[in-house]
Amino acid sequence: MAELNIDNVYKSFGETHILKGINLSIQDGEFVILVGPSGCGKSTLLNCIAGLEEVTDGRIVIGKDDVTHAAPKDRDIAMVFQSYALYPNMNVRKNIAFGLEIRKMPKEEIDAEVHRVAKLLQIEPLLDRKPSQLSGGQRQRVAMGRALARRPKTYLFDEPLSNLDAKLRVEMRTEMKKLHQRLGTTIVYVTHDQIEAMTLADRIAVMKGGVVQQFGTPQEVYDDPANIFVAGFMGSPSMNFLNCEVTESGGNYAVQVDSEGRIFQLPIDPKQADLSQYLGKTVILGIRPEQITHVMPHVEAEPFVTKVPVKIEVTEPTGADTLVLARINDQECECRVHPTEAGKPGEMMEMLFNMSKAVFFDPETEERL
Amino acid sequence: MAKTTDPRYSPITGRAILYGVLIVIALYYLMPLALMVVTSLRSMDEIRLGQLIEWPDAITFEAWKIAWNEAQIGARDELGLRPYFINSIIMVIPSVAISTLLGALNGYVLSFWKFRGSELFFAALLLGCFLPFQAILLPQSQLLGWLGLTGTIPGLVLTHVVYGVSFTTLFFRNYYVNLPHELIKAAKLDGAGFWMIFFRIILPLSAPILVVTVIWQFTQIWNDFLFGVVFSDPDSQPVTVGLNNLVNSATGEKRYNVDMAGAIIAALPTILVYVLAGKYFVRGLTAGSVKG
Repeated sequence: MAELNIDNVYKSFGETHILKGINLSIQDGEFVILVGPSGCGKSTLLNCIAGLEEVTDGRIVIGKDDVTHAAPKDRDIAMVFQSYALYPNMNVRKNIAFGLEIRKMPKEEIDAEVHRVAKLLQIEPLLDRKPSQLSGGQRQRVAMGRALARRPKTYLFDEPLSNLDAKLRVEMRTEMKKLHQRLGTTIVYVTHDQIEAMTLADRIAVMKGGVVQQFGTPQEVYDDPANIFVAGFMGSPSMNFLNCEVTESGGNYAVQVDSEGRIFQLPIDPKQADLSQYLGKTVILGIRPEQITHVMPHVEAEPFVTKVPVKIEVTEPTGADTLVLARINDQECECRVHPTEAGKPGEMMEMLFNMSKAVFFDPETEERL
Repeated sequence: MAKTTDPRYSPITGRAILYGVLIVIALYYLMPLALMVVTSLRSMDEIRLGQLIEWPDAITFEAWKIAWNEAQIGARDELGLRPYFINSIIMVIPSVAISTLLGALNGYVLSFWKFRGSELFFAALLLGCFLPFQAILLPQSQLLGWLGLTGTIPGLVLTHVVYGVSFTTLFFRNYYVNLPHELIKAAKLDGAGFWMIFFRIILPLSAPILVVTVIWQFTQIWNDFLFGVVFSDPDSQPVTVGLNNLVNSATGEKRYNVDMAGAIIAALPTILVYVLAGKYFVRGLTAGSVKG
C-alpha cells in the first residue's frame, strides 16, 4: 500500500499529444477513478502508471520510489485489463500462479496464495479450467485473482467491467467495492461509464483532451462541476443547459426564462454564483433534472424555488420517476417528476425550479462562474 | 406430361449437379496418381508387350525395390534412391525447424516489440517472398564458397533457411498481429521478460500457424530441385535430384515402372505430412481471418 503521485506527466506520440500535464496526488488506500470520453487519455495515463508506456515528461512516484523509468515488474503494481488478458494456454491455477513463479516464490507458498485468492473470489471450483471454458463473469474474477495474488501496493483497472452484460456489471461493481473495503489498497480505475465512477470512487478525475478537468469526490464533481464538460458528463440524464439573461429582481440576481411566451424570473442563491458582472448579459444556467419537479408544498415553501408552467413535449417513464421533456427559452429541458404527477405530451404542467443547487457557466469559456 | 415446377426439387437438383462436377474434377486430378501407382505395380515385360495404360496382370513390387536400392544412379557406389532420400531427410529437418523458429521469433518481434523502422524491416523482408530462386543462385554460391559450405548438406540447409525466412516471418507475423496485445502487457506486469513471454505464452498459442508453416516449408524444401542440383555434390544430392538422375541418366530401355515407383517414393513424405496435418493446415490458413 502506498500513495501514488503523478507529477506533471506529459505523453506524446510524435506530434500527437495525448497527456498534457497531468497532476494527481492519490492517497494511500484511495479508490480513484479516471473517467472521460474515448480518446481523453485515461487509458494512456493508466499505461504510464503501469510502465507499459514511457512518459515523455514528468514523474511518477509510488510511495517513496520514483518509478518514472522503472520496468513494469519493478513497480509493484497489478493490472486488470478490459479483455482480461488471461493466458489462453494455461488453466486458472497457472494463470494466477504465473507471476508468482516468475518471482521465484517457493512452490508451497504459491499453492497457498492461489488458494487464498481463489477462496476470496469464490473461484475454487474453476482452478483446473482453461479460460475458454469460463463465462465472462468468471474470467473477470480470474483476472482479478491474478492481480490480487501478488499483493501489490497498487491496483490498476482498465475498464474491467465493460465486457460484462448489464446485470452482471452491477453485481461486480458492488463486489469490487466490497473487495476494496476489505483490502484497503490503492486503486486506480479507468472507465467511460460515469455511473460506475460515481458509485465506486472515493475521488473521481474527469479527463478530456489529455487534461484533468476536475479531481474531487463524486458528490463534489456532481454538485460543484468545474465546467460545462464535467457538468454534462457526470449524471444521467445529464444536466440541462439553458441560455438565460441575467436580471435583477428584489435586490437579488435572477435569470429570466420564457415558457410558452410568458416570462418568469428565477432568483439565484447568491451562495451559488456572483453574477454582478453579467447583469443584462447571457449566461448558461446548469440545472439538473431532479431540481425541476412537480409541485410539492414543502418544496414550494423553500427559498429560491419558483413555480413555472411548462409545455410537455415528451414523457419518458423510467419506473421510479418519469422524465418530462419541456421547452424553456426555446431549448429542451428535462424534468424529473413522480410518475403519477406527470402530464401528457401537449399539456401544460406546473414545475418547481429549485435554484439552490443551480450552477452557471460563461457562454464563451464554458467555465463555471 | 406436366412440367415439374415443384420447388422442393430445385435444391436437390442443384446439389446433384454440384457434387457431379466435383466428382468429375476430383477424378481428373486423381488420374495421374492412379496411373503412376498402377504402372509401378506392373512388370516391365507386361508394359513392353501390352498397352501403356492397363491394369496389371500380376502385381509385383519389383519396380519399387529397384527404385529404392537396386538401380544404378549416376556413378555412385550406393544403389537406388535410398541415399538421396536420406540426404533429403537430413536436409529438410533442420531447414524446416530453423526457418520456422526464426519466423516465429521474427513475427513475435515485429508484432509485439516494434522498434523504429520495424515496419520498413518487415517490408524489406517481404521482398524475399517475391525473389525468384534463380536470382539468388550466383550470390548464394559465392557466399557458400566463402563459408566453405559448397556442395554440403549444411550449405543446402543454410540456403533453404535464408530463402524460407521471408515466408515464415510473414505467416507468424500475420498470425500474431491478431493476438490481443493486452496478453503481452499482462505478462510484462507479471514480470515475464522477452524470452519468457515468447516460450511460455506466445509459442504455446501458435499451434495452428506452426502447422501451416511446417507443412509449407517441408513441402517447399523437400520438393526443391534447383537449389538441390546447384548447391550439392553427388554425395549430398537430395531425392529430387536423385529422381531426375534415375529417370534421365539411365541408358537403354525406359523402365516406366521404376520411374513411377521412384516418383512416388520421392513424393511420399509430402503426401504423408499433408494427410497427417492437412486439416490443421486449412484451419490455420483461415485462423484469424474470421473473429470468434
